[in-house]
Amino acid sequence: MANDLWPQVEKLLGRIERPSRYIDGEWGVLRRPDAAYRVALMYPDTYEVGMANQALQVLAARLATIEDVATERVFLPWVDMAGLMREEDVPLFTLESCMPVADVDLLGITLSNELTYSNVLEALDLARIPLRAADRRESHALVIGGGPSAHNPEPMAPFFDAILVGDGEDAVLEIVASHRASKARGASREETVRALASIEGVYVPSLYSPGADGRMAASAPAPARVRRRVLADLDAYPAPSCPVVPYADVVHDRATVEVLRGCSRGCRFCQAGMVYRPVRERPADSIVRDVVEGLACTGFEEVSLTSLSTADHSQLESVLRRLVGRLEGTGTAISVPSLRVDSFTVPLARLLGDGHKSGLTFAPEAGSQRLRDAINKNITEEEIVTAVDQAFTAGWRRVKLYFMIGLPTETDDDVRAIGALVSRVVSVAREATPKAERGGLRVAVSVSTFVPKAHTPFQWDGQLPFSDVRRRQEMLRDAMPRRGVELSFHDAESSLLEAVLARGGREVADGIEAAWRAGARFDAWSEQFSLTRWLEAFSSIGIDAGEAASRPYAQDEPLPWGHIDSGISEAFLHLERVRAEAATTTPDCTFEDCTGCGVCPGLGVDNVIAEGARRG
Amino acid sequence: MAEGFRLRVCFHKIGRLRFLSHLETGRAWERAARRARLPYAVSQGFTPRMRLAFGPALPVGTAGEREYLDIALTRFVPVAEVEHALHAAIVPELGPVECRYVSPVEGSLASRLTIAVYEVEIEGGSPQQEIERSLVALMGTGRLEVEHKGKQKVFDLATALPKEPEVRSSEGRTVVRMWVRMGEQGSLRPEVFITAAVGTDRVASVTRTDLLIEDDQGWRRPL
Repeated sequence: MANDLWPQVEKLLGRIERPSRYIDGEWGVLRRPDAAYRVALMYPDTYEVGMANQALQVLAARLATIEDVATERVFLPWVDMAGLMREEDVPLFTLESCMPVADVDLLGITLSNELTYSNVLEALDLARIPLRAADRRESHALVIGGGPSAHNPEPMAPFFDAILVGDGEDAVLEIVASHRASKARGASREETVRALASIEGVYVPSLYSPGADGRMAASAPAPARVRRRVLADLDAYPAPSCPVVPYADVVHDRATVEVLRGCSRGCRFCQAGMVYRPVRERPADSIVRDVVEGLACTGFEEVSLTSLSTADHSQLESVLRRLVGRLEGTGTAISVPSLRVDSFTVPLARLLGDGHKSGLTFAPEAGSQRLRDAINKNITEEEIVTAVDQAFTAGWRRVKLYFMIGLPTETDDDVRAIGALVSRVVSVAREATPKAERGGLRVAVSVSTFVPKAHTPFQWDGQLPFSDVRRRQEMLRDAMPRRGVELSFHDAESSLLEAVLARGGREVADGIEAAWRAGARFDAWSEQFSLTRWLEAFSSIGIDAGEAASRPYAQDEPLPWGHIDSGISEAFLHLERVRAEAATTTPDCTFEDCTGCGVCPGLGVDNVIAEGARRG
Repeated sequence: MAEGFRLRVCFHKIGRLRFLSHLETGRAWERAARRARLPYAVSQGFTPRMRLAFGPALPVGTAGEREYLDIALTRFVPVAEVEHALHAAIVPELGPVECRYVSPVEGSLASRLTIAVYEVEIEGGSPQQEIERSLVALMGTGRLEVEHKGKQKVFDLATALPKEPEVRSSEGRTVVRMWVRMGEQGSLRPEVFITAAVGTDRVASVTRTDLLIEDDQGWRRPL
């Protein structure tokens, strides 16, 4: 195999923390030493974070269907290892064959959230690949991004040769085929990316530049708007049943089966709920089959049924009953990421073996009914209280509640209402708990700061100014009951950075590079993150980060992501924004009538409900 | 582990997998037992766990040629079948060496295995006699002060090393074999002893080649 770096890597492993991150050799690794074409799939964070990413497992399983293509994993070395690699002149390497990342044919990078952006530059630098696509030569790997953050690709656009918007299952095969064809005919890098631009969902940044009206203008053959790639039916794509089984204690150390994609609840703050439409459920038989196969192949002691809202699956109870029956006595737990209070039932929760241990998680998001209606959360205080009452009556002693502050239309009263709601939850939980057990009762309250995202009804809104965030956090602290409550705030400083990176245009890229040059990396790790470093980096290129985060976009102003077509119509998003102002809710189209978001007619797809209808 | 069948597995941890921690090794074996579909017993309670017990931990980076674990099974499966299933369910660098059933009432591996045998390979071509002389000289002092994670510790060498280390040389490799006693106060790390005797940056590799039980009849393997 080309240039095995293992002897050099091995020498470093006695000098760093957690060497198992770098050694490969896990169960389930697919090796193709003689493959004609090599893809490196990178998650730009540590092994422990990246190995939990389902998308990379899905893509690896899809690529494995092409026999002469090898797929290798790449993660970002932690700061201790990166330091030694630079010192000892070892470039970024793939895990499977320990080859230089720069030598693969295609480097795919997940853009899963904004706080990993500096890590992408760190990885390219360690790999010795020029940071900017414009500086790469024919010999360099093709660098392609994809993932949730690709829905506003501009801040990272200059660092990628192409970015995929939407579902990757089919697109990744088309991208590889197109690249191989280009290589076979000796095409230049420029010709290669032009060919990629004709694949549905592929955005080639070098073919777009700002026009006179401020909108991004495409040059041929690129489409004026890049239409999000979407699979019509998920059931044609089995969940990867034999993924690599890590040794290290990774973030989600379990088997995962995606039970549905998309969510039509229509929460107005939620990007995933907009850009993964329509709802595509996989039928119960397929889910049970994939769980059983996955557990047999991996030996995991837990399986998670994942999606944006698993409890909405029309056949969830039957799936759980069948799985509980089959897994009895094997010491295997079944879990779901989180539950909606309006779909919580005691029988459902009882089927989740993990329930008592980890407690239940609900996300009311806002404290007052008015604000919950404004964000279209579509749950009432009575539903929240009933769910908590049922759970504690049934023996649960812990519940976790998620809230956000800084949501559009929020007032000080809405913030105080969070405290009042939590007080009511605590007293209901106490009433439902026998006196002797009340000491162990816990209500964990986790509060994050709202980050406006592209392709949502709140895409025009700015983030609540930082000083107001701090003030409302203090106000909430005062309004919160003490006894039985554990209050925690998600770091507001990183939420500020997220807003700048999520809603900016291509001009933000220079700021990202400046911040990385000043030492930014692992921004999602609080001990590594420095807001000051980012503020200074932006200020050095003439951007006031606070202003960039909080400035609203005018209705008629071109949006930086205007050339990305998520399938949701702008008129629908605008109407939803107007309804938010009036605190009017919009129903879920899988329970009631079509809401006219535009995805189904625009992308030629439909909701796919496994059992015909969902519980209303 | 008092009921059912207790299967003792001798396995190795070699090559790159010597960089796994004790916890990681444990998790890997638990998953291998599931993949092999052994009729493993699970504990009672809210979170039932497989009943697995390991011998003393290997330091990260040290290879092991004969490590041990006990696993409780609910029914008897012939040893040859177990070995076949395990070989097919775990990567070769962590594979089983041999398996056998032992008495379910025997003391735990962690408490019974008290002697560890190591082989330390030394870099740089010092003559065998010179290394032997350094080791004898250090043994002669009777004690060794060691600093580990900021704490001072004094080892009585006659207790810590119940047998004189042996030096072998062939084809330019010099290997010291050591017998180390493991106790509740911890054990002397072989590379620390060798470094104290022959100087820093001389240890090329450390391998634990055996783990032994000490009883009235002397030293023996747990299988």
